[in-house]
Amino acid sequence: MSETPRLVVGPFNRVEGDLEVQLDLAEGRVASAQVNAPLYRGFERMLEGRAPSDALTVTPRICGICSISQSAAAAQALAAASGLVPTPQGALMAALIHAVENAADHLFHFNLFFMPDFTRPAYAAQPWYRLAVERFAAINGAAGRAAIEARTQLMHILGLMAGKWPHTLALQPGGVTRAPGPRDKLRIETSLRQFRKYLEREVFGGSLEEFVALGSIDALMRWQHGDVGLFLEIAAETGLADLGRGSGRYLSFGAYPLAEGHGFAPGLWCAGTLSPVDPSGIVEDLSHAWMLGGAAHPFEGQTEPDEAMREVAYTWCKAPRMKGEPLEVGALARQVIDGHPLARELAGGGVLARVAARLLELARTQILMEQWAAQIDPAGVFMHHGAVPENGTGAGLVEAARGSLGHWLRIDGGKIASYQIIAPTTWNFSPRDAQGVPGPLEAALVGAPVMEGEDTPVSVQHIVRSFDPCMVCTVH
Amino acid sequence: MSQIETFYDVMRRQGITRRSFMKYCSLTAAALGLGPSFVPKIAHAMETKPRTPVIWVHGLECTCCSESFIRSAHPLAKDVVLSMISLDYDDTLMAAAGHAAEAAFEETIEKYKGNYILAVEGNPPLNEDGMFCITGGKPFVEKLRHAAKDAKAIISWGACASYGCVQAAAPNPTQATPVHKVITDKPIIKVPGCPPIAEVMTGVITYMLTFDRMPELDRQGRPAMFYSQRIHDKCYRRPHFDAGQFVEQWDDEAARKGYCLYKMGCKGPTTYNACSTVRWNEGVSFPIQSGHGCIGCSEDGFWDQHGFYERVTGIKQFGIEATADQIGFATTAVVGGAVAVHAAASALKRAQKKTEEA
Repeated sequence: MSETPRLVVGPFNRVEGDLEVQLDLAEGRVASAQVNAPLYRGFERMLEGRAPSDALTVTPRICGICSISQSAAAAQALAAASGLVPTPQGALMAALIHAVENAADHLFHFNLFFMPDFTRPAYAAQPWYRLAVERFAAINGAAGRAAIEARTQLMHILGLMAGKWPHTLALQPGGVTRAPGPRDKLRIETSLRQFRKYLEREVFGGSLEEFVALGSIDALMRWQHGDVGLFLEIAAETGLADLGRGSGRYLSFGAYPLAEGHGFAPGLWCAGTLSPVDPSGIVEDLSHAWMLGGAAHPFEGQTEPDEAMREVAYTWCKAPRMKGEPLEVGALARQVIDGHPLARELAGGGVLARVAARLLELARTQILMEQWAAQIDPAGVFMHHGAVPENGTGAGLVEAARGSLGHWLRIDGGKIASYQIIAPTTWNFSPRDAQGVPGPLEAALVGAPVMEGEDTPVSVQHIVRSFDPCMVCTVH
Repeated sequence: MSQIETFYDVMRRQGITRRSFMKYCSLTAAALGLGPSFVPKIAHAMETKPRTPVIWVHGLECTCCSESFIRSAHPLAKDVVLSMISLDYDDTLMAAAGHAAEAAFEETIEKYKGNYILAVEGNPPLNEDGMFCITGGKPFVEKLRHAAKDAKAIISWGACASYGCVQAAAPNPTQATPVHKVITDKPIIKVPGCPPIAEVMTGVITYMLTFDRMPELDRQGRPAMFYSQRIHDKCYRRPHFDAGQFVEQWDDEAARKGYCLYKMGCKGPTTYNACSTVRWNEGVSFPIQSGHGCIGCSEDGFWDQHGFYERVTGIKQFGIEATADQIGFATTAVVGGAVAVHAAASALKRAQKKTEEA
């Protein structure tokens, strides 16, 4: 190896959207990485000049996988601009609708996007290989099929309460359009009971309460049941704990805002300490993105593509920073910030930590959804009404399955004057900033082993997928 | 040709029993609106015909079509269709990655030259030489042209591929362009909707795979069996429209009683789709049933027609049944050119069933 060998990995499949990663190698390891999001559509530009309420229809179409998250953020931004707060029952239904999508996303990530990588021929000699293929072979694996089936059943709740999925219209600034009747409540509870059965039988191989009660990594690694047990066995043998370790700096806007507080708490986690989130500290840096303009807070920022695609830049993705620092977002961030003891131990971890936190959150979300379903009051009020003002601003800060999602809306003369979006993968897959600091994925890839002759290194695949990227959201 | 398996082979290899296979055939016939006499025909076709390979590509899009597709109501149909597709090429669901995936793509095109169906999800952005959507180092539009060259027919999945959808909304920053404006020399079937209904997608693809031809299309190139009626025509809230009972505000008493959402901006009266009959998420519900009006997502240009909450004006409320075609014409003034075609089409349809077969 005389000069630095360079490897371009991509396109990635089993990832929503398009992605390319350029790797510089040295001594069989990744020395530095550049992440490129090669797809740009310009949603923020299309929203300018439209009626503010159009955001409810347009933004979900950024992404067919987390459309409800986009819809929730748009509704919250409009509510903030209009001075509206959803009714308690409206917020409860919105939380339930959103949680169904997030749980479904976690389930799919594990079964269809992440685990199939362990069925690659590179692992054929491993003792667990046969079982992995049986469960997780792409498209034909038993686990994948069961997951598709279970998710379809779970999504009956969305059919019922949100009309259709993807791209529901039921979430509104003041609540939800559909007031559930007693019969709906019963059907929701039945769907949730079925989903719990599936989770306990196939995914966890045991009681969700027992899994949620795991308080340490040691206890976690002793969990031997279900597909989770198989994953943990594979993780222990392939060293996933140390692969792609993160910075340990996490952000969560707080998931599921309810009258009595968030389902999962908001916060900022840096070097082992928790502090409140100050959204005014967010700046989008454009130094390495094919975007024109200076670094700015999303209320002031714009999205002006650099059609010359200047040399120093390498992606359409902007680089969001919180007070100058890149942050990792997602289930791990949320669970660490919410203070779950297992997640706190996993903080700063790599592939194992991200995937385990997602599984933990899946179990906790199911338990939350059951509690919320029990609290549905068909006699309640599900929507507050209010007019969108002629002029104003509002931010919608929510948690999508993949992490913190923000919409920043400015209304002028009854029309949208500017609309800026920072999606979870924009945080995680951000390029370098003006100081040359790499984004979380770029940093996590450094040190990943690359075997002789590997052109799509499995270690890189595992790390990239552990973030559960959603590229269409990244650059919208 | 003989080395290509039949559908039946594929199904049996998937561990599907003969009994389930026959059930699948009758369900397919029902879904396609064909009588019971077609069941043996479908069975025979599937037993004897080599399966048609499908290449599924993604351009500028959000994957909502795939998401919808894999939740199709009948697990068998989805399994079968998915396994047929998986044998060939699909960049979101398949197992191979990176360059291996690109190689599989080339290999499939080469192997089934002139004989495969190209399913397109999303569309190519043409601005700046297509640089806004790059896959495998090349603009998607090149990949699309390349794959289309040797395709037997093309399916445009969803509003993106059929019409452009929201990513083509003014000012259309990337010049997102529907497939039929880029590929002009191949038969194209449009299956619009954002996303299309899962059962409509499996229905169309099963029909094409089974009979080796396109279903009857309407003037816009959509399968007539799913897109020949307005949402409004079969809406369960229609009696409230006729009775003049409307929701004035969400979550008001009228909303709880399930009155008509027309005054809330419902586009059901000008939208041709099967939502009010087939419904969504395994027939559970559809947008109007969840209390929100239809936004007309299967219509050309739905993303740039006034606000989504503005009422469609100019519809006569009573005596609708007698003047359905007039309604079609009346709405054109509001909704614009796209619907004009429908209005004409619905008037003509009864007179002459126009078939545009591949």
